[in-house]
Amino acid sequence: MSNLKYIDDYFNGFPGDEQKQEFEKLIKNDAAFAEEVAFYVAAKAGFQQHAQQEKKEHFRNLYRQQQAVPVVQLKPAKRVWQYFSAASVLLFIFLLTWFVNNRKTSPDQLADTYIQQHLLTLPVTMGTQQDSLQTGLNLYKSDKLPEALQYFETMLKNNAADDAAKKYAGIVSLRLKNYDKALSHFQSLEQNTASFSNPGKFYHALTLLKRNSAGDKAAAILLLKEVVAKDLEGKETAVTWLKKL
Amino acid sequence: MSFEQHPVSTDEDLIESFHQNALLKRKAEDTIFTRYTYFIKEGMYKYALPEEDAFDAYSDTVLQVINNIVSGVFEKKSSLKTYLYRIFANKCVDLIRKKTTNKNSVHQTSSVTDMLFMIADSAKTVVQQLIEKTDMDILKNKMKELGENCRQILAFFADNYSDKEIAVALDYKSADVVKTSRLRCLEKLRQLYLGK
Repeated sequence: MSNLKYIDDYFNGFPGDEQKQEFEKLIKNDAAFAEEVAFYVAAKAGFQQHAQQEKKEHFRNLYRQQQAVPVVQLKPAKRVWQYFSAASVLLFIFLLTWFVNNRKTSPDQLADTYIQQHLLTLPVTMGTQQDSLQTGLNLYKSDKLPEALQYFETMLKNNAADDAAKKYAGIVSLRLKNYDKALSHFQSLEQNTASFSNPGKFYHALTLLKRNSAGDKAAAILLLKEVVAKDLEGKETAVTWLKKL
Repeated sequence: MSFEQHPVSTDEDLIESFHQNALLKRKAEDTIFTRYTYFIKEGMYKYALPEEDAFDAYSDTVLQVINNIVSGVFEKKSSLKTYLYRIFANKCVDLIRKKTTNKNSVHQTSSVTDMLFMIADSAKTVVQQLIEKTDMDILKNKMKELGENCRQILAFFADNYSDKEIAVALDYKSADVVKTSRLRCLEKLRQLYLGK
C-alpha cells in the first residue's frame, strides 16, 4: 500500500527526532514520497473542508430556526397550511413512487415515508387520556401544529415527567421541522427506562434520519441497533431500516 | 425549550462532551453555536457587516473554537464566551479587510497548516509547493466517486476522530480494521486522483 501507512503513522504518532529527520530526508530526496505526503495532507484537508462546509450549512439551518418567529395569524396560516397540505400530498405521491422504484432509500426519505404513514394522524379518542392531551391531539389532527405544541409544552411545564406529552411534543416539533426541539423531547423521553413501551430512542433515530446532517445517519444507525438489541418500541421498523441504510 | 435549557450547560460539560462519542460531540457543537448567535447581530451593528458576512464570521469562529477544543489549543484560561468573542471580533475585522477575497477561505487553510507543523521548514516548503499544485476541485470530485463507506470513514478521520472512536461510531470490529480500511480508501482516492 505505497507509503501511506508510513506517512499516516508519522502524522498520527509522536515521532522522535531520529524519525523526524528520516521523514524529512525522504521528503527532500524522494520526489515520489514527497508527492505522497502532499497527497495525504491535501486529501485530509479536502475532507475537512467538505465537513466544515456541511457543518456550516447545518449551522445556517439552526440559525434560521432560531430566527423564525412563531407569529399566529389565522388567515395567512390557513393558506399556508392549505399549501402545506397540498405539498404534503404531492410529496407523498413522489416518495411512494420513489420508494417503489428504488429499494435503496436515503435516510430522510425513509423518515418522510414513516412520518407520512404513521405520524400524520394520531389516535385522538383514548378514554384514559387527560383532557388537555385530547385537546392537543385534536389540534394536531386539525393541523394546528404550533398550537398543539404549545399545549403539550404547557402540560410538560405542569408535569415534567409526563411521557405522553414529551412524545407528542417531540412528534409535533418533528412535523414542524424543529429538529433540535424534537431531539430534546425524545432524548428526555428515552431517559425513562422503567417504561415498557418507550419509543424515545426510536423517535430520536427517526429525527436524526429526517434531519440527515453530517454524522446524523451514523448516529441514527447506532440508536436503531440499540432499539433492536434492547427490544424497544419500533424494533420491527428499526430492523427494516437497518437493512436499507 | 431552547438550547439554554439543554442538559449540557457549563463550559466544562461542553468541553468534556468533545471527548465523548460522536453524538455528544455533535450536540455540543450545536449548543455552542446556538448559545451565542446573538454575536451575529453584534457583528452587524458594531462592525457594519451584512447579516450573511456576520453569519460567516460567527460560524467560522465556532468551527475554529471546536477545533481548538478538540486539539487542546483552548487552555481554559478564559470562559468559552470570552474566547469565542475574541476570535469572532478578529474575524469580523479580517472580513472587513478581505472584502475582495473569498470569505469562505478564512477558515479553510488552517487544516493544512496544522498538519505541516510536524515537519521542519526545509521539507515543509517542498510539501507546501506540491500541495499548491494539487487541484483541490478535482480531488473533491474524486472524493464523490468513493463508496459511501469510504466517504464516511474518511469524513470521521478528517474530523479528527481516532480509529477507536470511528470503530464505535461506524460499527467496525476494531481500531485496526478501521485503520486498514481507511488507508485502503485513501489509496483508492489517490489512484482515482492520479487517473489510474
